[in-house]
Amino acid sequence: MAKQYVMVIQASKCIGCQACTVACKFQNEVPEGQYRTKSPAVGPTGTYPNVKLYFEKEACQMCKNAPCVAVCPTKASYHNEDGVVLVDSNKCVGCKYCMTACPYDARFINEETGAADKCSFCYEHRVSQGEKPACVSTCVGGALSFGDLNDPNSDVKKLLDKYKAEVRKPEFGTHPNVYYIYEGVK
Amino acid sequence: MKRRQFLKGVLYGTGGTMVALGGFGTFTKLAPQAVAAAKEEAKTVFSTCEMCTSRCTVAVKVKNDKVVKVEGNPHDGATAGTICARGNAGPSLLYDPQRIKKPMIRTGDRGSGKFKEVSWDEAYAHIADKVKTIQKDYGAETIAFASRVNPQDQFFRLIARAIGSPNTFSHEATCPMSRTTALEGTFGNPYIGADYGNAKYIITMGRNFFEGIHVPMVKGVMKAVANGAKLVVLDPRFSVTAAKGEWIPIKGATDLAFVMALANVMIKENLYDKEFLDQYTEGFDQWVEAVKDTTPEWAEKETGIPKDKIVEIARGFAAARPNALIEYGWRTPWTPNDYQLRRAIMIVNMMIGNWEVPGGYYQKKGAGVLAAFPDQSGYAKPTGGGFGPQPAAPKPAKGRIDGAGVKGTPGQLIPPVDGAVGQITESILTGKPYPVKGWFVHRFNPVISMPESDRLIEALKKLDLLVVCDVYMTDAAYFADVVLPECTYLERYEPIIDQSGLVPKLQLRQPAVPLVYADTKPGWQIYKELGEKIGIGDFFSFKDMEEFLTRQLQPAGLTLDQLKEKGFWSPAGMKPFFMRGNDPKAPAPPTNAPNGKIAIFSHEIEEAVKGEGIPKYKQYPQPEEGKFRFVQGKVAVHTNAGTHNVPVLNELMPQNSLWINTQSAAKLGVKDGDDIIISSGQYEHKGKAKVTEGIRPDTVFAYHGFGRISPELKRAYNKGINDNKLIKNEIGESGNVVTSTTFVTVRKA
Ligand code: SF4
Ligand code: SF4
Ligand code: SF4
Repeated sequence: MAKQYVMVIQASKCIGCQACTVACKFQNEVPEGQYRTKSPAVGPTGTYPNVKLYFEKEACQMCKNAPCVAVCPTKASYHNEDGVVLVDSNKCVGCKYCMTACPYDARFINEETGAADKCSFCYEHRVSQGEKPACVSTCVGGALSFGDLNDPNSDVKKLLDKYKAEVRKPEFGTHPNVYYIYEGVK
Repeated sequence: MKRRQFLKGVLYGTGGTMVALGGFGTFTKLAPQAVAAAKEEAKTVFSTCEMCTSRCTVAVKVKNDKVVKVEGNPHDGATAGTICARGNAGPSLLYDPQRIKKPMIRTGDRGSGKFKEVSWDEAYAHIADKVKTIQKDYGAETIAFASRVNPQDQFFRLIARAIGSPNTFSHEATCPMSRTTALEGTFGNPYIGADYGNAKYIITMGRNFFEGIHVPMVKGVMKAVANGAKLVVLDPRFSVTAAKGEWIPIKGATDLAFVMALANVMIKENLYDKEFLDQYTEGFDQWVEAVKDTTPEWAEKETGIPKDKIVEIARGFAAARPNALIEYGWRTPWTPNDYQLRRAIMIVNMMIGNWEVPGGYYQKKGAGVLAAFPDQSGYAKPTGGGFGPQPAAPKPAKGRIDGAGVKGTPGQLIPPVDGAVGQITESILTGKPYPVKGWFVHRFNPVISMPESDRLIEALKKLDLLVVCDVYMTDAAYFADVVLPECTYLERYEPIIDQSGLVPKLQLRQPAVPLVYADTKPGWQIYKELGEKIGIGDFFSFKDMEEFLTRQLQPAGLTLDQLKEKGFWSPAGMKPFFMRGNDPKAPAPPTNAPNGKIAIFSHEIEEAVKGEGIPKYKQYPQPEEGKFRFVQGKVAVHTNAGTHNVPVLNELMPQNSLWINTQSAAKLGVKDGDDIIISSGQYEHKGKAKVTEGIRPDTVFAYHGFGRISPELKRAYNKGINDNKLIKNEIGESGNVVTSTTFVTVRKA
């Protein structure tokens, strides 16, 4: 049965340490100055001394209805058999249509390959080998979970059953596979 | 995927240009993962991280003799196989073209940055010559040694011991040493751990778990919080830790008042464990006396925390007993009497009997500790020494410059293994109690890590000999006579690292790859060879680290191969051992505790300074209108004065800024991002303002370790604020530096 890979981000457990950011760079050889993911701070909001702050990991949202895939003239951007949005750099001509189409600003032109680049859920080098993505494996705060939503025993399924989760910018109708749980932070 | 890798191969294969271009080091031709991948599958070398001093276990991924990635060690439950951003950045340090690659001898004036590259032999000969001259003219004791605590200290310090200098120091006076003093005074030893994961109530005063990252501790605190533990964070600044709990912006330098008020409430309301205190401690009566007037009303005036809040915290903390803890702190030297704050914290902890129970404090369980417990002693045997027979060391002609450890004097409060490192500056400049003429520095960066950078540099300029061993041309190395390039932790062995907690744990640091720069060496080898040149080679009685490690492990019944398997060893099948885990009345003596009791009143401290046997409050000045208390702290992506030039980490955070409260900034006409001048009266520093609601209006804050002085740290040079330029070199009551009593003014640049 096909998988539905999803990432679940629990903001209350993210400490903004950027271990994920760095792990991703090494895993995927992302060039200097470029990132597939980052975990910037949201806040502090409020007025002294009643302030709040949390972190929100940013990366490709792995949309089921992906505008980047829809606009790609060469089919370099595609969904693979497990629903993961990937870029075939052989086919990419660097036209940047996908970058414009992405509502999440997740894409960039890799300075070394000249092709569009973004989070791949570490599909080729890790997930297809049975490992978790690099960012998930190194998450110090324990904020990141990854797995197959079709598997009732997966962490992600259990988390999404237990907590109210949100996707980003639902109004775009993109149906992301990246979920955010804000319980305890907002 | 193919074309992309092919393209990379072409790029990386075009000769030397990429090394110069590639700031990252990781993705230069020195570590082309794509190219390596074609030849060899990744192998894993288990070792120990050194991107900070927490020493997490790591799994180093190596392809074709290149480190392609560093990951957490999946066998280690303490980290759950995770490592922080700095740990992940290991390859970026390893392959950084800005590392120092050859020994160097200074050719221009100190601070001119003029050096010539020399052979190791020349470097050793030069040092040996100078050492002999200083020994002859002034005595060996005028040569000081200082390092950031590390497993190779036994080689570095052996040089001092063999030539007859008592003046060995660690960096600890700038970090947790006042806690060490407090723990020794209370428990008889400093090897006390905290079981965060099982705590139901955690109070932390300034300890910023989630930015001053120690991975296993982050895991513990996060586990507790996820299980519903209350986290109370007292800090003048809104840290990430504060964001995960209840933030209480306490007035700086008044923490002891808060702790004493907790005790006052707990005694008044009978919220403490009298039976525990009777059985395991001594001197509680004196504490009752000491806190009889430290009421919440009084503490409210001191700390700015409403009295009802203090009462609420005292009740909440006590209600969770014994699975609750007040954090004893890490980077602690805030005030001159900081050790008394740490003492008071531990006393209030003991009031709820959180000793040797889950969610409390415990004696770290090395093999030596287990020996006293018949049902545990079978799990581990102690390791041994790595040296063979050694000659007798000469007796130092004089005592230490800081008087550390001298009984019946205030120096007794200073742990002699660490020393009051700030005294080196003073002795160089004032000649008291006698001058310091030579200084060996190993993997420590006093120019940034010690207070009053300008005064320290003035001192460095007066030395006859300054030797610095490091991986970069650090700010201290920049002023050295001889610079010795060490290889990184990914290229060397080190002695066994004992990280025992609730179970024994021995860790290995081992080379993952051959030397990246052929003329760098591991510290142990540097000091062994230098020792031979100085004529004290007999002291270094081991052939190489394999022999050294084998000797260490043999008495424990272990082999080097066993350690290599997973990079660490813990006894199979042993459960976390709490002495009072099953029986709250079981014997639970801290190691070396006087009379086997936890000292609430400390006779040792009383012996050192009369009247200090029980903590008492000292009121320190508060900033007057227009001035700010200057406090500092750690950030998750950098380590102390260590990683700011590491390419990936520098890219994430190249500089700091000065946090200032919105209202305070408005009064000064300062806006977010403005250029400002920070002045302590004596010193000034340029910087940028970060205007925020997340700080007390009377306090300003900067992350530590920026504003680097060595132009050879090309990425970090001159970026941001060097906090220690503004802080005075005051030596605290237990030999600690004093970080948080400096007041500054701020104006637009
Ligand atoms: S899943 Fe992989 S590619 Fe995506 S952010 Fe995490 S580490 Fe980077
Ligand atoms: S590693 Fe985890 S805790 Fe750290 S920033 Fe990334 S998501 Fe947050
Ligand atoms: S906390 Fe980070 S830098 Fe320090 S030892 Fe652990 S992984 Fe390494």
